[in-house]
Amino acid sequence: MWGSLIPETVRDARELASVKRIEINYRGIFQKQLAKKIANYVVYVAHSEGKVAFSNGRYSDSPERNGVPCKYFTFVSSDLTEGQLEAVCGSKMDIESADVSVVLDDTMVKGVEPWAWHGIRPVNEKIGPGGKMIVVTTKSRGELVRFLGRKPFAYDLALLEGEASFSGLWVFKDDSTDVRVLGAIARADPGLVSIKAVEAYTRSAFKGEKAKAARLAHDSLLMHRVEPSEGIDWPHAPPRLPSWKEMREGLVVPAVSRAYAKGPRGQSRSTTYLRGTTKSARPVVRFDLCTKCTLCWLECPDECFDPTTDGLFDVNYDYCTGCGKCAQVCPVEGCIVMVDELRFDNNDSPWERYKIAPEDYVGWAKKSAGGDYVLHNVVTGTGVRRVKVPEGKGKRS
Amino acid sequence: MTQKALGAAYEAEELLTGCQAVSHAVRLADVDVIAAYPIRPYTEVMDTISKLIADGKFDAEYIIADSEHSQFEIAKHASAVGARSFAGSSGTGWMYAMEALAVTATDRLPVVALVGNRALDDPGAFGVEHNDALSVRDLGWLLVWAATAQEALDTTLIAYRVAEDPKVMMPCAVAMDGAFLTHSQHMVRLPSKSSVKKFLPPYSMGNRRLHPDNPISIAPQVNEDWVMEIRRQQFEAMSASEKVIKEAYQEYNGIFGTEYDNPFLECYKTEDAATVLVGMGTVVQPAKMAVDQLRAEGKKVGFARVVWFRPFPAEDLRRELASASSVGVVDRDVSFGSPDLGGVLFNDVRAALYPAKRRPTISGFIAGLGGREISIDDCVKMFAETSEYAKRGVGSVSWIGVRE
Amino acid sequence: MPAPKEARDGSDFGKIKGVHLVPEEELYTSGHRTCEGCESALTMRQFIKVAGPRTIVTGSTGCMYVANTSYMTTPWEVPWMHTQLGAAGASAIGTAAALRALQRKGKDAREKVNVIAFCGDLGGGDMGLSGISRALQTDYDLLVILYDNESAANTDIQATGLTTWGAQTTFTPTGSADRVNRASMRWKKNVAAMLAVGHPNARYVATACATFPPLDYMNKVKKALALGGPTLIHSLDPCPKGWDYHPRYSHEVGELAVRCGIFPLWELTDGVLKYNYDARKNRKPVKEYLECQGRFSHFEQSDVDFVQSKVDEMWDSWEVPGVLPVKTGAVRRPAT
Repeated sequence: MWGSLIPETVRDARELASVKRIEINYRGIFQKQLAKKIANYVVYVAHSEGKVAFSNGRYSDSPERNGVPCKYFTFVSSDLTEGQLEAVCGSKMDIESADVSVVLDDTMVKGVEPWAWHGIRPVNEKIGPGGKMIVVTTKSRGELVRFLGRKPFAYDLALLEGEASFSGLWVFKDDSTDVRVLGAIARADPGLVSIKAVEAYTRSAFKGEKAKAARLAHDSLLMHRVEPSEGIDWPHAPPRLPSWKEMREGLVVPAVSRAYAKGPRGQSRSTTYLRGTTKSARPVVRFDLCTKCTLCWLECPDECFDPTTDGLFDVNYDYCTGCGKCAQVCPVEGCIVMVDELRFDNNDSPWERYKIAPEDYVGWAKKSAGGDYVLHNVVTGTGVRRVKVPEGKGKRS
Repeated sequence: MTQKALGAAYEAEELLTGCQAVSHAVRLADVDVIAAYPIRPYTEVMDTISKLIADGKFDAEYIIADSEHSQFEIAKHASAVGARSFAGSSGTGWMYAMEALAVTATDRLPVVALVGNRALDDPGAFGVEHNDALSVRDLGWLLVWAATAQEALDTTLIAYRVAEDPKVMMPCAVAMDGAFLTHSQHMVRLPSKSSVKKFLPPYSMGNRRLHPDNPISIAPQVNEDWVMEIRRQQFEAMSASEKVIKEAYQEYNGIFGTEYDNPFLECYKTEDAATVLVGMGTVVQPAKMAVDQLRAEGKKVGFARVVWFRPFPAEDLRRELASASSVGVVDRDVSFGSPDLGGVLFNDVRAALYPAKRRPTISGFIAGLGGREISIDDCVKMFAETSEYAKRGVGSVSWIGVRE
Repeated sequence: MPAPKEARDGSDFGKIKGVHLVPEEELYTSGHRTCEGCESALTMRQFIKVAGPRTIVTGSTGCMYVANTSYMTTPWEVPWMHTQLGAAGASAIGTAAALRALQRKGKDAREKVNVIAFCGDLGGGDMGLSGISRALQTDYDLLVILYDNESAANTDIQATGLTTWGAQTTFTPTGSADRVNRASMRWKKNVAAMLAVGHPNARYVATACATFPPLDYMNKVKKALALGGPTLIHSLDPCPKGWDYHPRYSHEVGELAVRCGIFPLWELTDGVLKYNYDARKNRKPVKEYLECQGRFSHFEQSDVDFVQSKVDEMWDSWEVPGVLPVKTGAVRRPAT
């Protein structure tokens, strides 16, 4: 099991430049199969190049929940044995650093919070100096960097053109995103897998357009440098986990304290897990069209609406998971529209804004919704369609 | 018996089986919720409790569960809401409850359970075997063996006292040999309710109580960030239990006039013994007779009964067996494939004696399974074999009384 | 059948008569790790809203345990305790028994504390049946809510006894040799009716869907708690993860299940049956329901027809449509 190359110390093995780590950031369930395919393709390709590789999901992400950020990992080495790579990278619940970080849904640049007590972390957290981040996106560099956490060193940001590819558990949307990302990885870090090996693999494993897509993605990938001065000071500190003496006995945690008053943030909510980073889109509410039917508030599985003194319902975006139920059940066309999360840079109370300056707010709401928006088909993996934002005059049947 | 003869703290003397003695302890402890399910040989404890309730002598909720798993879940949840609860089982029934038993321990709930030791199915033998109770030995249960009906009553009251101590908060299994103790009738002195009240404080979950006055969540899902710390808390509680047990017995002696010396280990003529047998449960009676017989022949032998199996009295064993050059361990249980194919007690005793300054040879005996008798002669034989092995300088494991 | 007890808060059980009268405060609040569009989360949110703060909830292992308290956190504002997969019934009994004993013995003040045990189709409908059965035989005030997302969802979607015939799960995948997996070819267990028929002591057994008809589910919870004694509600909860549809359509999918008759909606109060949606007369084609879920993407027309025929049978031929498959009357002789 231990080959001829045995490092002097375990530390040497850890620092061997030949060990490459890829993490794939993805939306749980929606991109579960996609992430796993990409991770496994890297193993196959690395293997074909005579390297040693293995892949695994982050166990604590499991069971995955629709939209909750998850990670998948692949580890590759050109000179360690299987056992050594396992010792250095395996039998761990998470990753320490990533050479390549893939982001399959660009809205994840706003932060990822996979479970309570984990904190809201920057999606580029694990990138090291000279590391590469590949984002599947239709956005420009600037539109993404404005959300990313600032790092003390430079790293590369590669933009792979495309909408986030979402599926469900049983119907997979095969739009070649998997092989395109593979091609992008080869371009971003040729030492990890070579495009030659990638091409050989995709041409043997797939037919038609899909067989060529990796190469095309590789060639068309836009690479940018991100400087140490770019990005934001990350506003969320990771939580400190209590010691065994500080923890209550008998697996007891205090309930969320009861507090309720009408108005924005009048309802008490969890402080250990916010959920807001689950969403790819958020509901924009046209308070001017609202008929106060209560259905958005009533049907929200995440208790994100705060009833207000004037019978309207404020949205708490810190907790909204972007499921879209409110938009779907609202009886007034155009009153609630799900809008790309990247169009918003704060989670301020929309109702407060509306009360202060209603016309301003309505104008802003119309603008942020834009001309059209992405609407998922009922069976997620069958794709999306672009729908024009309705004028918001009539009631829906 | 006159009140003077009974003792101030007692109110009556009755002819009771081991099971019935525990029933009365449950009554005296003012248990609130009892979950019952029938299985030989422990069932009578529940029969007797239900009759006491029906006769108005005891006020408690008595639920006939649909299975042992449900039975112990009922007891566990009642305990979480602040009700003192009681359940019990034997053999394969205890196995059916296993999931509930494991979580009762990790939820740190002080349920007291009677285990009427019975051989595990298959085959469906009703006779004594210790494997049922032993199966929770790693899980965070306190585990104690009674050898007489009187001791069973005392131990059950002490079990509530210890289990409910805020430093402990662990469930406690009180084990007794099936048939030999569960079913045989002896004269038992019954304490008065008022003296028990002096000994046993009311049950309080404090800020861990599940009740609308104290909104908490119990047992959220956790991941690798939490399990080590949770188990460390359990470890701390088990470590603290030793002192709490000692104090509880001292208090008990003070109020009831009993003479429990070392609560963990009952030692019979071990001080200068060269050969000591160790065992649990009713084997102590024939073993003591064998000791007397051999002592009369000039042999320096002794018997140590392990009373509390968890926490295990390792220090006490090392101290009490310091003079012994050979030790034999009587296992009324099996542990197939274990180190040197010994029983559970054998390997725990060996582990305890390993750090001793002078290690005796240690022999193991598998005996009395499924209700087979261990006679005085069997004990004499085991003493002989144990010292034989000492002469050879090795220990070994053998089976007593098997038809070859 | 024992004589009906008086309802504690009036003959309409304090029914919520309009959406504006739904209590506003959340007692199950934001910060749980459930899927986008999770109807089971909504079911919990709504039951505790109407049950109020003097309630103890037990949650069996499953999504509504793991996804709500991960990790070492809680969205509950009322007392809540985890219980084992098959222990919903036992946990309700233990909790109710403790409250009764402590109050009767004067260790606690006397008050009505609601006891609600929440279990899934796996833990409740399969494993935990014996415990729920016993709970329904007692005279304790307890409510068992069986939330049915038609799978063992927390283990990433496997078939249970309540999974719709033919559905894909990781234990019943579609394959080249077995298009509709033979292990999936079992008709959904009629669990609420089964429990109702077997436990005439229980004053209230009902089926429900969180979102349709509006307020129906919440009012059923209110009624169950007001009637007292052991009660049960079986709620169908569309699951975007397991059923494979985009979360925003959760309401529609639930409504379709009821309107096409595949999930009978009824309540049994002191032995009197009422349909909350009468699918005998008006039923949407089952096809509409099946085709909006990816778990049926492998279905062909013959499969749809089969499911339709079983649904039709349930409503057209059963002795008590949608509830009781027993037939009375002449035995048919085989054709010669």
